Amino acid sequence: MAGLELRDIRKSYGNVEVIKGVDLAISHGEFVVFVGPSGCGKSTLLRMIAGLEDITAGDIFIGDTLVNDVEARDRGVAMVFQSYALYPHMSVYDNVGFALKLAKTDKEVRDKKIREVARVLQMEELLERKPAQLSGGQRQRVAIGRAIVRDPDVFLFDEPLSNLDAALRVDMRMELSRLHQDLDATMIYVTHDQIEAMTLADKIVVLDGGIVQQVGSPLELYNRPANLFVAGFIGSPKMNFLPVEVAAAANDSVIVAGSALDSTELARPIAGIARADKLTLGLRPQAFVASKAGIRGKVELVERLGHETIVRVRLKDGSDIMAVLQGQSDVMPGDAIGLGFDHKDVHLFGKDGARL
Amino acid sequence: MNAAARSLLARALIVLLMAVTLLPFLSMFSAALAPSGTYPNGLEWPSDPQWINFVKAFEVANMGELLKSSALIVLGVVPVSVLIATMAGYGLAKLTSNRYKWLYLVFVAGLTLPFEAVITPLYYEVRALGLLNTRFAIILPLIGLYMPFSVYWMRAHFLNVPNDLTEAAQLDGATRWDEFWKVQVPLARPAIMSLMILLFLWTWNQFLLPVVLVRDPLQRTMAGALGAFQGQWGTDVPLLCAGSLLILAPTIILFLIFQRQFVAALMQGAVKG
Repeated sequence: MAGLELRDIRKSYGNVEVIKGVDLAISHGEFVVFVGPSGCGKSTLLRMIAGLEDITAGDIFIGDTLVNDVEARDRGVAMVFQSYALYPHMSVYDNVGFALKLAKTDKEVRDKKIREVARVLQMEELLERKPAQLSGGQRQRVAIGRAIVRDPDVFLFDEPLSNLDAALRVDMRMELSRLHQDLDATMIYVTHDQIEAMTLADKIVVLDGGIVQQVGSPLELYNRPANLFVAGFIGSPKMNFLPVEVAAAANDSVIVAGSALDSTELARPIAGIARADKLTLGLRPQAFVASKAGIRGKVELVERLGHETIVRVRLKDGSDIMAVLQGQSDVMPGDAIGLGFDHKDVHLFGKDGARL
Repeated sequence: MNAAARSLLARALIVLLMAVTLLPFLSMFSAALAPSGTYPNGLEWPSDPQWINFVKAFEVANMGELLKSSALIVLGVVPVSVLIATMAGYGLAKLTSNRYKWLYLVFVAGLTLPFEAVITPLYYEVRALGLLNTRFAIILPLIGLYMPFSVYWMRAHFLNVPNDLTEAAQLDGATRWDEFWKVQVPLARPAIMSLMILLFLWTWNQFLLPVVLVRDPLQRTMAGALGAFQGQWGTDVPLLCAGSLLILAPTIILFLIFQRQFVAALMQGAVKG
């Protein structure tokens, strides 16, 4: 088992740079999730760690070893593919044992390890079957088993749950969590699903456009997003953004106002802003409560989920915001509504999108 | 036209097509049963079927020897061709970087080459190698001539194998060689089988090459034996037909055994498997 370090990793295809200098340190035993929209470079980064993709510049260390020029098979990593990539002509037993067979592991040791993995993953009764005879969830288990049996330094997962249905995904997510604890292994996991990221990760790496936007624990990212991208990406429904202008800035408070927001005083010191600066104010939909004060608008759409009610509200400047009201609200489309919020829940972002 | 009439018409067309396909065989069969030395028209059943013609054809053409010779040639050509084509197909599909993709076009260009156009230079080449009148004069050129199609065929198969499998094998610790033999070849079995069947047929039915490059009829393929029925003064049509049917027999038996693979071979690429 080992940690991992990336130093100024870059990747270009011809003239197009897709990974633009990633620095990252992952300690032993950490569960790290790379998350970001399609095409952000998260899978490329994972494949570079695996050794399946050449790196254009930078260094990758696994443990203390520089692995830039080490073949994938010698890196001590195991990977679970989105497509599972099971060998169709081999039984589950042979699929799981393939790596051991290649390593010329003694037959009895091999058999013991395969059966142990099958026991851990509760798939002992599947060992004689071929992949084609398995359901999606079972295939996923085999793919994970194939990774575990090798006892690798680092586990890599490339969107492993995206082909499963919703219920199974929840089960497998918990199973992965349990596995991470049991194995005490370093795991790197790629997904575009922020729920997976939030629930599994010790540390989330948010990527966009080949650049790391923020690294932090799930709640750090949720509570203190570093920029507009992270703020909009983490959290569901996504954070509402309102354009505002600074009306007055004092040492320990700032007053902002916008086309949809009356003058609002935020009682906290914010450095580096001046009167008339144009900023973006962010409020999570969950920050709102129905009230007489606050932001006023007309209810456009209501989604009743039982434990909460999601409301889309049209503001006076024509923009829409989403609010999640706790419990079963009786608002109806067309109703006038006021949305109150606590000033502590307000996020402010500067012109360049960075958090203030 | 209503559905019933349409289906009837479709059936009629299929029956017609079958008749057209089978007619030459039936015609040959009836001619093969006519008395030796006559000139049957092949459209009527002989009044006194001469089954003995098949035995005579077998003896006259020395079919027993030829069967052995054909088998030797097939054994020399097919396994080697399939092995080389499988490796080359894998190499071109999975190991070739974009810069060298054009290599594949060299093989495709080979597909456009008419066989008859190379037969004369081939004769001189085989003579220069000192292989004239040996079975190697048939085996070596055939392996070469089959390469464009075979490589094209195998490459098409390997292109369809997801890259994830290659990568999974690499991460499992496989060398390229391990991956090829333990993952790719087992998966390519249907394609390899189809290719073997096709190459067998083409080799078995090879006529021109053996006739030109090998003088001794007993070192040729079975199809080359047809010459035995052509005298200087005339051709014994019933024996020729009986001989032809005997030569066809192994391929027909093979077809019946491997029917499913044959159809699969022809359908390959038609639907995503």
